[in-house]
Amino acid sequence: MDFRTLLLNEFVFLDGGMGTMLHLKPGELPERLNLTEPERVAAVHRAYAEAGSQIVYANTFGANPLKLAGTGVDPAESIKAAIRLAKDAVGEGVCVALDIGPTGQLLPPAGQMTFEAAYESFRVMCAAGAEAGADLVVIETMSDLLETKAAVLAAKEATGLPVIVTMTFTENGRTFTGCPVSAAAMTLEGLGAAAIGINCSLGPKEILPMVQEMARWTSLPLIAKANAGLPDPVTGEYYLTPAEFAELMPAFAECGVQFFGGCCGTTPDFIRAIREKLNPLRRGRRCFAKQAAVCSGTRTVLLDMPRIIGERINPTGKKRMKQALLDNDFDYLRGEAISQTEAGADILDVNVGTPGINEAEVLPQAVQAILEVTDLPLQLDSSDPAALEAALRIYPGKPIVNSVNGKAESLKTVLPLVKHYGAAIVGLTLDENGIPTSAAERFGIGERILKAAMQLGIPKEDVFLDCLTLTASTGENGPSETLRAVRRVHEELGLQTVLGVSNISFGLPNRPLINRNFLCMALTNGLTLPIMNPMAEGMTDTVRAYRMLAGFDVNCENFIAAYQDAGTPAAAAPQKSNENLTLEGAVIHGLRQDAARLTLEALQTHAPLAVVNDMLIPALDAVGADYESGKVFLPQLIQAATAAQSAFGVIKQQMASQDGDKADKGKIIVATVQGDVHDIGKNIVRLLLENYGYDVIDLGKDVPPQKIVDAAIANQVKLVGLSALMTTTVGAMEETIKLLHQQYPECKTVVGGAVLTGDYAETIGADCYAKDAKATVDYAKTVFEPQ
Amino acid sequence: MKPDDLDRSEILMYLNTPSLDENLSAMLEDCVKKLCAAAQPRTVYRVLPVEHTASGVLLGGLPLQGEDIALHLTGCKEAVLLAATLSAPVDALIRRASVTDMTLAVMYDAVAGAAVERVCNDLEAEIRAKYPYPYYTARFSAGYGDFPITQQGALVQMLDAPRKIGLTVTPAQTLLPMKSVTAVMGMSHEPVKDARRFCCGNSCEECPYHETCPMRKENAV
Repeated sequence: MDFRTLLLNEFVFLDGGMGTMLHLKPGELPERLNLTEPERVAAVHRAYAEAGSQIVYANTFGANPLKLAGTGVDPAESIKAAIRLAKDAVGEGVCVALDIGPTGQLLPPAGQMTFEAAYESFRVMCAAGAEAGADLVVIETMSDLLETKAAVLAAKEATGLPVIVTMTFTENGRTFTGCPVSAAAMTLEGLGAAAIGINCSLGPKEILPMVQEMARWTSLPLIAKANAGLPDPVTGEYYLTPAEFAELMPAFAECGVQFFGGCCGTTPDFIRAIREKLNPLRRGRRCFAKQAAVCSGTRTVLLDMPRIIGERINPTGKKRMKQALLDNDFDYLRGEAISQTEAGADILDVNVGTPGINEAEVLPQAVQAILEVTDLPLQLDSSDPAALEAALRIYPGKPIVNSVNGKAESLKTVLPLVKHYGAAIVGLTLDENGIPTSAAERFGIGERILKAAMQLGIPKEDVFLDCLTLTASTGENGPSETLRAVRRVHEELGLQTVLGVSNISFGLPNRPLINRNFLCMALTNGLTLPIMNPMAEGMTDTVRAYRMLAGFDVNCENFIAAYQDAGTPAAAAPQKSNENLTLEGAVIHGLRQDAARLTLEALQTHAPLAVVNDMLIPALDAVGADYESGKVFLPQLIQAATAAQSAFGVIKQQMASQDGDKADKGKIIVATVQGDVHDIGKNIVRLLLENYGYDVIDLGKDVPPQKIVDAAIANQVKLVGLSALMTTTVGAMEETIKLLHQQYPECKTVVGGAVLTGDYAETIGADCYAKDAKATVDYAKTVFEPQ
Repeated sequence: MKPDDLDRSEILMYLNTPSLDENLSAMLEDCVKKLCAAAQPRTVYRVLPVEHTASGVLLGGLPLQGEDIALHLTGCKEAVLLAATLSAPVDALIRRASVTDMTLAVMYDAVAGAAVERVCNDLEAEIRAKYPYPYYTARFSAGYGDFPITQQGALVQMLDAPRKIGLTVTPAQTLLPMKSVTAVMGMSHEPVKDARRFCCGNSCEECPYHETCPMRKENAV
């Protein structure tokens, strides 16, 4: 039976629980049974086919190479056997699906499994399933949107089969990793799923509202495959009978669900009962109106009013950002992401294009780093299609691509990527002839871009047009032509409109004033997506005020929430501040803002290195000594270090803008070893080392041994600091030290972490065991500043 | 979870400090409030048969390695295997703080430690109320004593924890989300004399605070 033929049916009946029917004994691996007891599995399929299932799921849910590692069961063999035995059992009239469940591990930002590893494991499954003749691929019980995306892409790219996807949600309407129904729906539709829905999770009553919500976010056929109610907390038994379960199905049909089945606790009797209940009915008419929206893996942003795209993560004209990218200092990007999120951005633009940077390598790394600290959707900004594709692959959700333009070459290379990965696209209204001066010509190019996108199947709602802000100083009609074009795109095409707002004031005095006014004019003319600095004074305020005045803010609620505390004393933690405070005092007392301010003052009269050596370090030494003698404790030590860090932030900023010598005393690499994800200790060590003026290259957590060695050699560092918190990862630490000794013997190593002791550190060949961050600094001094 | 649910002295222990000044105290209270708002505590447990054999103890058919866990379950015919997690948003909170302010990050980390402990205590109370056993041994986790951390994956799998509460384990046997616990608790009709006891429910050698824990001096195992 062909899946597409099945789609012509009013209802399509799936199967019910497999585990429930196999009656597994403790420790029995279902995927092994495909090879050892095929008849036992076949009997389940036959029972479902007899009950009326039109698609049965082969017994391959856990046949993932990552899950079967060490079990002795070959995933491809198990899958091929499972598909073949299912086909034999159910015959021609029933479709057999390759069933793919989660790997059981998490991808970033919550976890550490790489996208590539997940993709490869699913690709192996899909290839085996297709080879054995599966009719379609089912991806189910998914929590992690990025993992789901890896599976969908693997299915699409390794097979030509239809893919249907169901995810599992908790009572709060989100998956365990925080993915809302809306984000799942728009992402999976964009990736080309043939049908989507919800399985497992809870009972029918509980998942009904989530299915109704999903219906509002997709035009795809919907799937419902609930558990037989909620399990009894003591026995683990599900409580709904087939009749009770079936009784709840018409409500699903009414909201347009086409695919029906059951999950945990359901049996062929449930399928029979569902069929009987639904056969006389018709499914409800779907009245779906597609809305413009984008999402990350955990947040949906509906583009129903002007939304702010934060522009700060872009090295153009920003020396500090450029330096951070060249130094692989992703924490600087993370910091910018957090500040913009807190300042009111709705979406963040990410651009890493600067000489000396391989965008295809760095853009996905930057995206991943930023998504660790914000849940805002991202706009992937690059003119390099390879970089866009690399970032599109690993982005969890539906991003915006910035940009395509009217040139034939651009349309040909960028739009297919946008379609394949289900993104939204910004079209720049320029072409081979440059930027037209008149609004009419820009509008014309915009129309052409829209037409090209729609021809590829990109929905109109996902095409945003940038009518291009030209600097006001280049011609008095420039701004009004831009605004005229924005108005026409907004009114005549009904598309989202994008503008880089601050270009308007380039080369003119009092830029903030011009920017604010132009922003307000543009919003009034139909600008919906200003690309701007949300921290710049008055900019976010202008958008908030516009939203309120233009009727987007019901009861002025958001406006009031944003400003009701304005005018009252700062709600932040009280900071002691007095005129006699010295930089040393500010550090010792952990006063971040004062430390930054006093550093700026000190730099007027002192060289950066003198500020570090004569002010910051003595202060830190004093706190360190108090810590060692028990006068102050860990929180105070870290607070002082944090204040010193803000002082260093000022020094770095100054140095980046002066292109002067670095004030650091030498490079040190720190890393949490492969397999280990606990990095708080390593972060404290880095903070303290930076405080003492060392240039710390933080390779992050879960870092493979060879990567640490390569970085040590490339940067010619004298010292590598390694952290491990688990007994299981000390082996990786030992391996790293061994490789360092072989390939770069002059480098010293210092190790720390909860499971280590001095003796143990010696056994694995480390030069030093540091019991805490302070001890690491003390050792670094002996390496870099021998007496 | 509410701010009042958390034991402040336990948080201070994790912070390795006897007290905090006014500023830091205010910061800590703010952390407690934000963490409680972010946490989505989830738990799962199973009561499983215990079988003592010559080669060791089996829990629900799974051989548990090491002498300590076997002693810990001496005489028990059943035991609870439990898992608890504060869920992914807490990890995200700590990640963000690690970038903006390490003091906050360290505080969140300590508060999360106390919070997951509280979730386990509540679950334990619920279990004790439900089953007719007068005696329970302390919660014993993989990584304590000679009960190897490498069994973490098998315990998580036995509870179907990825599907039930979104708790996963990495190839290096780290629980993710990070602020999570698994533990085994023996159920008995008599006191279990050989049950392993640790000062904070943890073995000092494996305890992240083993260098500095004030309780270690009196009760070191």
